[in-house]
Amino acid sequence: MTPILSIQQLTAGIEDREILKGIDLVVNPGEVHAIMGPNGSGKSTLASVLAGREDYAVSGGSVTFMGKDLLDMSPEERAREGMFLAFQYPIEIPGVSTANFLKTAVSELRKHRGLDPLEPAQFLALMREKMKLVEMDSSFLNRSLNQGFSGGEKKRNEIFQMAMLEPTLSVLDETDSGLDIDALRIVAGGVNALRSSNNATVVITHYQRLLDYIVPDVVHVLWNGRIVRSGDASLALELEKRGYDWIKNEASVEA
Amino acid sequence: MPIEILRENVRTAHQELARSINGHADHPLHQQRTAALDAFLEQGVPTTRHEEWKYTNVLPFIGIEYAMTLCTTCFITDAECARTIGPIADALESGWRIVLINGRIDRAHSSIPEHVPGLRILPLTDATIAADARIAGVVGSNAPAQSHPFVAMNLALADQGVVIHVDANVRLERPIHIACIADTRTSHRLSTPRIVVVAEQGSSFDVVESHHTIGDMTALDVTVAEVSVAANAHVRYHKVIDDGESMRHIGSTSADVARDGSFTAHTASLGGAFVRNDAAVRLCEPSSQGFLFGTSVLQGHEYADNHTTVDHCVPHCHSEELYKGIYDGSSVGVFNGKIYVRPQAQKTTAYQSSHAILLSERAQMNSKPQLEIWADDVKCSHGATTGQLDEDAVFYLQSRGIDAAKARALMTYAFVAEVIERIELPSLRQHLEERIAEKLGAEPFAE
Repeated sequence: MTPILSIQQLTAGIEDREILKGIDLVVNPGEVHAIMGPNGSGKSTLASVLAGREDYAVSGGSVTFMGKDLLDMSPEERAREGMFLAFQYPIEIPGVSTANFLKTAVSELRKHRGLDPLEPAQFLALMREKMKLVEMDSSFLNRSLNQGFSGGEKKRNEIFQMAMLEPTLSVLDETDSGLDIDALRIVAGGVNALRSSNNATVVITHYQRLLDYIVPDVVHVLWNGRIVRSGDASLALELEKRGYDWIKNEASVEA
Repeated sequence: MPIEILRENVRTAHQELARSINGHADHPLHQQRTAALDAFLEQGVPTTRHEEWKYTNVLPFIGIEYAMTLCTTCFITDAECARTIGPIADALESGWRIVLINGRIDRAHSSIPEHVPGLRILPLTDATIAADARIAGVVGSNAPAQSHPFVAMNLALADQGVVIHVDANVRLERPIHIACIADTRTSHRLSTPRIVVVAEQGSSFDVVESHHTIGDMTALDVTVAEVSVAANAHVRYHKVIDDGESMRHIGSTSADVARDGSFTAHTASLGGAFVRNDAAVRLCEPSSQGFLFGTSVLQGHEYADNHTTVDHCVPHCHSEELYKGIYDGSSVGVFNGKIYVRPQAQKTTAYQSSHAILLSERAQMNSKPQLEIWADDVKCSHGATTGQLDEDAVFYLQSRGIDAAKARALMTYAFVAEVIERIELPSLRQHLEERIAEKLGAEPFAE
């Protein structure tokens, strides 16, 4: 079975500071991986490097996505190949309506896959169907993208976009942070509904709470730019109970 | 001595005009021309030391030897005319079209509505002015000839411009399109179109003024439109400058608004080597409203200067201004917005904002709000911003599969769309949307 994502000895940083110090990670179809870790351990950097944010420079290692060199692709090519990043802080874009934005994004994706654009009626029906998944009101479609949205609405909008774009790999960057329990349930429900044996999800989170709703196959602990421990869902519960300090101590001893 | 050359040439052109009207120099219009000539000669040509022309240097094109008098050899074929004004004329789908060539009505290329009840379109001639006191009263009534040398110059040479008169309670179904063409195939040309619009009580209509050149030599197009908006009348005046490098445009659009009336001016500067627009509205009676909007989308060495004046003379009036621009290459924008609130004009609401995005390091924007508020129970605000495109937002769009160029186009387009959406004339709005999208180099939205 070809993995969806294969990261080997990835090192990356911003300006002169190295943040990722040798990441290894393999994600297979159908799997959900959780990456946990204390603040500043490199979780969001990993998400940004995977999405292709230019601020971060990759200094070594490789990332293979569906058999192709991911690091060689522009951010838009990654998206068209099936990579999706749900942003920790979704950007507000005044004047661009959610509907027009998605119409453009979906058309680009379909063009890349050799498909004709959807008819307007088909597209509208698709949007309505996917909005139900995250319990979004259709009035959001004509509003400027994320502008004036509450924190929970922005996160639901990220999952709505994910549903529209049907990615092969979804990376959720702290999608749970700042959500109340109802919003968390809705967001997690959306993610679970989109899971299939052909796609995979990487959930980056600080808190175990989300993993009650999105049950991971593998849990990794990231600390100081390295994955220092991997295990099954029970690892998350142990972290919740014992905090991150024991991991840090063990990692320091090993290093 | 470019300034002296221009003064002498204007003086000569004025004298020739006097000869051509055949001994009617005592007619009211010609007396106004002569007074305006004096006002022009007295003010001279402004330099950048003049506060109103601080950023706007006209000297580079003032010393050119312009042809100014009636061109007897300028012959424009139907095909040439259609090619030049076609894009906007076709988009408007109006059929009511007044073509001015070198500032004078050209009946052959115009399609002037003859039998529309309540609508009169006349040439602005000595005879027209002598025959109609209402129209005569509007000429020179609100365009600032005493403080704007080019407005004075326009009136000094005004001949065979356009008068639009709309009767009380007439609502026109179609926009009136005024297309000003300068023919610069055989000489540099100064043209001075003068437009007079009279909206009687309760009337409502749209005017679209567009500017064009045929030829590669320099056109200096000095256009003045004066509008009189009577009680409860509503006039929407749209101006589009979307031309090539030959075009230098200095224009003024001004209106007086009576009780419960409204005047809306929208100026789109999408091309031309040099564009200066003065838009002014004077709110003369209570409950009148003025709206001034502007869009500039420039690149290369294009230049657009928007000077606005809103004069609140009486209580309970409302004004809004929104100007937005996108500047690429070495283009330069200016916004200078004056608001006067006179001592008696209590309960005024006046809002002004000007926002610019610079797409290149060489592009420039100069903004200067000027509010003079003499009343104490008013709501007034102004805001001016100049910034770059938000690169985080570009990345966000890229991460959804939209390439960087298209993401930038989408965002810049969205930025000016806020102004375009305010245009109530659907045909013009769509035309401008398409032109702006084209100029930004990408279709902003998927079909």
